[in-house]
Amino acid sequence: MTAIFKREFLSYFRSPVGYVAIALFSFLSGFVFYTQFATGVVDIAGEVISLRSFFFVIVPIITMGLLSEDKKRGTDVLYYTTPINLFNVIIGKVLAAFCLYVIMFINVIIHIIVTVNCGGVVGVGAIGTIIVFFFMAFMFISIGLFASAITDNQIISAIVSFVLILITQILGTIGDYLGSAFTSMFSGINTKIAGTVGSAISSAINWLDPFVKTQDFRLGIFSVSSLVFLVSVGILFLYLTFRVLDKKRWSQA
Amino acid sequence: MSKLVSTENKKTDNRSDKIKLYSIGAVVILIGILVIVNVLFEKILGKALTFDFSASLSNTLSQDTIDYLDSLPSDTKIQITGLFEKPSNISGTRYQYIIPLLDDYVRSGKGKISVEYVDAKTHPNIISQLDPTGSYDLANNLDSFVIKYNDKIKLVSPYDCYSYDNDYLSQGYYYVVGNNTEYTFTNSMFILTQGYSCKAYVITGLNDDPNTSLKNILEGMAIEYNELAVAENFVIPEDCDLLILNGPDSDISEKMLVAMTQYMKNNGKLLVSVNYNINNTGEEFFRLNKLLNEMNINIDPALITENDPWHQLGGYTTDTSVNTVGAFVDYVQTGALHSTFARSVREVDTPAPSISVYPVLVTSENAATVGVDKNGNEIAGTYVSEKQFNVCMFAAGEGEDPAKAFVFGTTNFTSDEYITSYGLNDSNVTFIKSCIRELTSTKMVTVLDIATKNVDNFSLTPEKATASAATAILVIFMIAIPVILVAAGIIVYTKRKNL
Repeated sequence: MTAIFKREFLSYFRSPVGYVAIALFSFLSGFVFYTQFATGVVDIAGEVISLRSFFFVIVPIITMGLLSEDKKRGTDVLYYTTPINLFNVIIGKVLAAFCLYVIMFINVIIHIIVTVNCGGVVGVGAIGTIIVFFFMAFMFISIGLFASAITDNQIISAIVSFVLILITQILGTIGDYLGSAFTSMFSGINTKIAGTVGSAISSAINWLDPFVKTQDFRLGIFSVSSLVFLVSVGILFLYLTFRVLDKKRWSQA
Repeated sequence: MSKLVSTENKKTDNRSDKIKLYSIGAVVILIGILVIVNVLFEKILGKALTFDFSASLSNTLSQDTIDYLDSLPSDTKIQITGLFEKPSNISGTRYQYIIPLLDDYVRSGKGKISVEYVDAKTHPNIISQLDPTGSYDLANNLDSFVIKYNDKIKLVSPYDCYSYDNDYLSQGYYYVVGNNTEYTFTNSMFILTQGYSCKAYVITGLNDDPNTSLKNILEGMAIEYNELAVAENFVIPEDCDLLILNGPDSDISEKMLVAMTQYMKNNGKLLVSVNYNINNTGEEFFRLNKLLNEMNINIDPALITENDPWHQLGGYTTDTSVNTVGAFVDYVQTGALHSTFARSVREVDTPAPSISVYPVLVTSENAATVGVDKNGNEIAGTYVSEKQFNVCMFAAGEGEDPAKAFVFGTTNFTSDEYITSYGLNDSNVTFIKSCIRELTSTKMVTVLDIATKNVDNFSLTPEKATASAATAILVIFMIAIPVILVAAGIIVYTKRKNL
């Protein structure tokens, strides 16, 4: 696992990918920080929440090549033919991408230092959103890794992870639309039941929305169950990735 | 023939099918386990593993509210309805402190409190269900909450849940300085379940200032707030338990004098607060003094200036700290309260023996008074120095339930301008509550004396957050660092592309 991690992590800096990803993150976080600073009010929690909105851009960039590149080059056969645990491969790659995120986050730490030096406050809400940020990063990297496992084309991998993460980000809106659509469609038959089922659909989809689940962290409310949810989704996608690789290993055999 | 081929294929792909089946089965089982774990975690351990680390526990009910909720009979049903769809993202909105706290009401209410959100735009029936008589104008308050207990309702607007900086408010901006969400909701429930203890009438029409803070204080003490407009046929209602004259800019009318004098003769309770401001510098309150003289008190047409630097606030002679004296020291923990542009209040020269008068708030021994004309200029020969002056006095008659009056020479205890700036936890507010208790003998209010909670303030120091600093941030974070990184990426790509 350490060897895989080391190789993947260094590969970010042996190609333009790592530099471009950090540059993009620096630009976006700098933009958010600058707009707050210019008004004289800096809420680090607000900045981190804004940065969460850019996961669907940054995660595909850093995960698109994690497994698809190996497939394209044919080096993935090593994973299947050597006595290596596939989970170690997956964990090593996820850790590498996660560490790149940590490096990107140094930008925000610099912003925090600037804020404190300028008399601003970093409240408990900021700490909460930073914790959520890293849990979400793990979850989205897992999704990106899965997208990378199902294809040998980096572009397709990026598009798939882009779409999956985008869907996650607009889950609340999708839930509301589906609930309203169901209510409208079946209100002619029975208004009360249609309304109840419509709101149940909406609630069920909203229950899956990681952004709604974790929004109270900004207010200083730390909910362990929300973090468990993020970890669960991450584990699910890691397992899906494992199954994809495992299936290929036995198919090759 | 085709069946035979199909059987052959199935045998060939048997292993692949088994792997596929195993994969699907394993993933389905894992999803099932994760869903169950998450649901159980949320339902069973969700509350126990949720922690409020906010600075003033703004999302958690105080012990006072929990005690009140526990004191309610177990069959109590209080329904809170938000007349809008529950927002999915409350961060940075006016609901950000309200909705999490309402969730805590449900948790701590143990079945006595329910909260629901019904969008009145899509379900207009909810308005007639909650307010059949239409007396609360719910249709024009679709951003508000309705608290219903039995057949009684109370409307709570999100704006009621905060206190605002009055300077910004006067310019049309809502700059939040305090979070009164718990105060507002708990006291609304308290009033619905317990009923008002008494009625206060606040005289309006003698100035332009609102009485919003005073209303909040009174309702927080379970005292019903009513307005009594200055009119040709001014009559004080018989059910008036407390009459308040808050910061008049002009004198009372002759009819008011007659009505108020009669009210005091009938053992009425009066709270008067006046001050010096740009609108009333030349006002001597001749008729008001005639009324107060019956209670052995007189408001002098003189502005108090403080010469003792220990009593001056920020070096201003008219913005000062005043001391509580006598029995009134127990009204508030701190002995020094805040007075601004105060008039001197004194005992009349020939007091009636049946009325006792007590100084309540006093200046230092080195204070002075000065007469001020309509233009705010000092009137020559009116300067009186080296003396202690009263900023507030209390008068009480004899008997079991006598007439009582508090007369303040400053409006720092009752005005929106002061209270919105310093919040409901300020010592002046605590003091005025004690005065109101003295006048109305309201004892039940101590249970619900809920503190205002802090709101986050992320402002930077203006001297450091300058335009040039902002420009430097723009250049460093949005231009320099990204450009350097992209350049590094290009160099790496160029050097390694042929490897």
